[in-house]
Amino acid sequence: MTASTDYTAQEIIVVAGSKILEDNKIVFVGTGLPMVAALLANRTHAPGLIPVFEAGAVGPPLRHGLPVSVGDSRTFTGASYVKGLNAAFELTQRGFADFGFIGGAEVDMYGNLNSTMMGDYPDGYQTPKVRLPGSGGASDMAASCERTILIVPHDKKKFNQQVSYMTSPGHLDGSPGARQKAGMQGKGPYRVITTKGICDFEEGSNRMRLIHTYPGETVESIQEATGFELLVSPDVSEFPAPTVEEIRLIREEIDPNGVFVKRVAK
Amino acid sequence: MENNANMFWTGLSPDEAREALVNKDKSMRDKRMSLKDAVSKFINDGDNVGIGGFVDVRQPIATCHEMIRQGFKDLTLSFQSAGMAPEYLGAAMILNPEKCNIKRIELAYWAHEGFGLAPGWRYLAERGLIDIEDWSNYNMSARFKAGSMGLPFIPTRSPLGGDIKDTSRTKIIDCPFTGRKIGVIPASNPNVSVLHVQAADKFGNCIIRGTDCTCAEIAMASAHTIVTCEQLVSHELLCSNPKDVMIPFAAVDAVVEVPYGAYPGACRRHYWFDGDHIRNFLGLIAPIVKGGPTDALKAYFDEYIYGVENFEGFLQKVGVKDLLAVKALEMQNCERLA
Repeated sequence: MTASTDYTAQEIIVVAGSKILEDNKIVFVGTGLPMVAALLANRTHAPGLIPVFEAGAVGPPLRHGLPVSVGDSRTFTGASYVKGLNAAFELTQRGFADFGFIGGAEVDMYGNLNSTMMGDYPDGYQTPKVRLPGSGGASDMAASCERTILIVPHDKKKFNQQVSYMTSPGHLDGSPGARQKAGMQGKGPYRVITTKGICDFEEGSNRMRLIHTYPGETVESIQEATGFELLVSPDVSEFPAPTVEEIRLIREEIDPNGVFVKRVAK
Repeated sequence: MENNANMFWTGLSPDEAREALVNKDKSMRDKRMSLKDAVSKFINDGDNVGIGGFVDVRQPIATCHEMIRQGFKDLTLSFQSAGMAPEYLGAAMILNPEKCNIKRIELAYWAHEGFGLAPGWRYLAERGLIDIEDWSNYNMSARFKAGSMGLPFIPTRSPLGGDIKDTSRTKIIDCPFTGRKIGVIPASNPNVSVLHVQAADKFGNCIIRGTDCTCAEIAMASAHTIVTCEQLVSHELLCSNPKDVMIPFAAVDAVVEVPYGAYPGACRRHYWFDGDHIRNFLGLIAPIVKGGPTDALKAYFDEYIYGVENFEGFLQKVGVKDLLAVKALEMQNCERLA
C-alpha cells in the first residue's frame, strides 16, 4: 500500500469520508463529495454498504458511473427499492438510516451547518449577501439520520463561532439532550471531515474536537484555520496519506471527469 | 405554540382546493392539446405553480419555455429541488421583468448539483426581487403530500432545531400523544402543476420511471395539472399493469406529447443530462449576477426560446448530434433491448 505523494485536498476528503463509512450499514448519501466517498467505500472496504439517495433509490450497486445528481438514472439501475422523495425521507424519519452524509458551506463548533445564505440573519433573510442553494435534503438528514457525517472545506471563514443561518441542526447549543428537547431524533453529528483533518464531538460538551490531522498539517495549523476554539483529543494522530491505489480509483474509475473531485493542486 | 410567520395560503387553501376538485369535470375524456393551449388555459397570472421533477431530472422544461413565450406575472413557484425549470423562468425575469415575473418561491433547493450553483437564484434573491420561503426536500414533499391527502397540514421532524422553522410557516407544537415537540407544516395546494413524465395516455394516466420525485403528490394536490410526456400510448397499454400508473387521469387536465421535454435535463430511459448545454446556459447568467451585461443571455433567449414557435423548434436548434449524444449516454445507464 504505497502512499500517494500527489493528491488534492478534495481527494483526501473523499478517502477520509470513505473510511468512516462502515460496511453493511445504510447510509443516506447527499450530493457531491459524499457520493464519491460512498463509491470509494463500496469499491474498497465496504462492499456491503447500502446507499440511499433522497430522490428514492435504495441500495443500487452503482456500476454505471458516478451519479451527477442524487436523482440521476445511475442511482436507480440495479436498486432494490425505488420510490420518491417522501418514501426516502420517511425511511430516514423511521430510523432506517444509520448514517447521513452531508456537506455545507459553513459549520460551527456544535456541527450546525449552513447551506442557505450568507449575510445578516434574520433581518437580511430576504436580501442575502450570498444566496446558497438551500437545504435540499440536508436538514432532513440532520434531523432524522441516526448519525451524520459532515464535509466542510476547512478555512476560518467556514468554521465559524456562529453560522449565518442554521440550515441543518447538529448539536444545537451543545447542551445535554438539546436535540431530543427540540423534538429531533438521532445522535447528531458524528464526524466532520475537512480539508485539513477529521474531528469528532466531545462527549458531554458536544464540542468539535480534532482527532486526526492530515499529512502536512499540525494541531496548531488547523486551529489557526478555525474561527472558534477547537478541542483536541488526547489521542490526536496523523491520518495516513491516501494510497496510490485509492487515488487511482478516484481519478480513473470513480470520478474520471472531475465532476465533484476537482483536479486543483493541493 | 410558537407562531413564526403570518399564516397565509399562497396557493389554494385546503377548502378551496377541495372545492376546486368538487367542481371539476372528472370524466375520462381526451385531454390531448397543444402545449400552447395548455399553458394559456391553465396557467394564470398570480398562480401558485407546482413544479415537478428533482433538480435537473424530469423538469418540465418544454412547459417552462412555453410559459416564457406567453409571459407570466406574480407567480409563486413551489418545488422541492429544482434546476433548469426555475433557471429558465428566472432568467426570463432577469431579461424582462415586465413580461415574466415571479413573486415568490417556496423551495428546498435551487442549484444544479454536479453542474454548479444557480446564478438566476443568486440574482433574484440577492437583489431582493422575490419573497423567499425556505423548506427542506422532505418538508416540501410532505407539504404536497398533505395537499394530496386533503389535509391542512402534516407533522414532520425536519424543521425542528434549525432556522427553517423560523423563516417559514412552520409551527412547533407539543405532540398530543407523546408530549414531545413536533413540527407541523402547511399543505401546499398549487393552482396548477407542471410535470414531465415518461408515458401517458390521452386521459392523463401517467407512468413514471426512475425517481418518482414528488410528482404524484404535486398532481394530486393541485387544482390543475399539465403533463408533458416522452411517449403518448394507448390507454390499454398504459394501464396494462394498473399498479404502474403513478398519476391517475382524474388529476390531470392537459396531456401533451413532447419528446425530450425535460432536455437539457435528464429523463430516465430516454436521455441523460446535457451537461455542456446546462453549464453554457448557467455561464450566460453568472456574469449578470455581478452586474455584467445581459447581451449573451438575451441572444440565447432570442435564438432558442423567443425565436422558435414551440419546443420542437428549440430541439431543431439544439440539433440531432447533441440529442443523440444524451440518448446514447442514457442507454449506458439503463441498457435495454430496442
